[in-house]
Amino acid sequence: MITPAATLSRNGLGWYLYGIAAADDASAPLGARLAAGAEQEVELVAEGPLVGVASRVSLAEFDEQTLPERLSDATWLEQKIRTHEHVLERVLEDASVVPCRFCTVYRDEVELRRFLSERRETLQAALDRVRGKVEVGVKAFIDRDRFAAGQARQNDEIRQLETRVSTAEGGRAYLERRRLEQLVASALGDFRGEVAERIQTRLLPAAEDGHALPLQAPELSGREEEMVFNGAYLVTADRGGFEAALASLAREIRDDGVDLELTGPWPAYNFVPEELGAA
Amino acid sequence: MSSRELDGYRSGQPAQLADVLERVLDKGIVIAGDIQINLLDIELLTVKIRLLIASADKAREMGIDWWEGDAFLSKGNGRGELEQRLRKLEEAAGLPTSPKQEAD
Repeated sequence: MITPAATLSRNGLGWYLYGIAAADDASAPLGARLAAGAEQEVELVAEGPLVGVASRVSLAEFDEQTLPERLSDATWLEQKIRTHEHVLERVLEDASVVPCRFCTVYRDEVELRRFLSERRETLQAALDRVRGKVEVGVKAFIDRDRFAAGQARQNDEIRQLETRVSTAEGGRAYLERRRLEQLVASALGDFRGEVAERIQTRLLPAAEDGHALPLQAPELSGREEEMVFNGAYLVTADRGGFEAALASLAREIRDDGVDLELTGPWPAYNFVPEELGAA
Repeated sequence: MSSRELDGYRSGQPAQLADVLERVLDKGIVIAGDIQINLLDIELLTVKIRLLIASADKAREMGIDWWEGDAFLSKGNGRGELEQRLRKLEEAAGLPTSPKQEAD
């Protein structure tokens, strides 16, 4: 399918929209910061009380027909995804921002401005929700050896088995060891089911909102330990109360073999409306 | 070591690509309407990408293994491509190999 010529902008350039900020937040310093950002020229398209944070891009590069091929090019994909995130992170240092999903592209400035003006109320409501706030990520990983040691402290049966394993010999030692492994594995199964709820119970009161995200396999998380929780929280930009709650939880849960990792601040990807229909 | 190690949790690491992907590809507002890319197609594509990266073996088959060679992503914990290459060179030259760093 060929895009009708009438819809193409004259110079073949469209607008890639990274996110939306409030015009009164997006002052001169933000413009300067974005200009200094180097890898991609970013412009603030002001429309009423809102600004679109956007870059001119080649429409051919983001064409529906060729995009599937580009998306399977890991180098292209990573570069574009990192740029999307870096631009929004720079905005976030000075202003609250509603992030758009990857590859939100308008054919021309008129369409971008029409969107900002027609969806003003919905966008402002989304901005109000994230104003003065940021998203942080919390990931929990379990260290099996420390988990087993923690279980031995809490569970008499496991502790006694450990003692027997260390003194038994031959076939008996083998059976006792197998039994010990089964008990620890079963305890770990129970623990996996409880740990997410335990983390949510402690962290949600210190945040505006929070969601559990899919767990990441070790190949993705970059850590050998098993991920047992992955969450996103909307917190005040200073993060003080949340970090205190996290530190207290981390100390408590450490004896169970769990390590917590805090990521961010992120633009509030997980706390903006999923979909804005056509106006 | 992270500046927050004393608080008992890690922070301040460079953003992992997986964390960026799960946000930029899956979250953020989706605008239906008069834009260049048909978002329904994009939805399908992101599902496809997620499936690909969910299985590392599958991803390697498809050539999507960029996280393995990225010194930032592999955090220099002994599995990075550069370290592997260094060890190979050292072995080939008959030098004592660099001690494997403990994973943090």
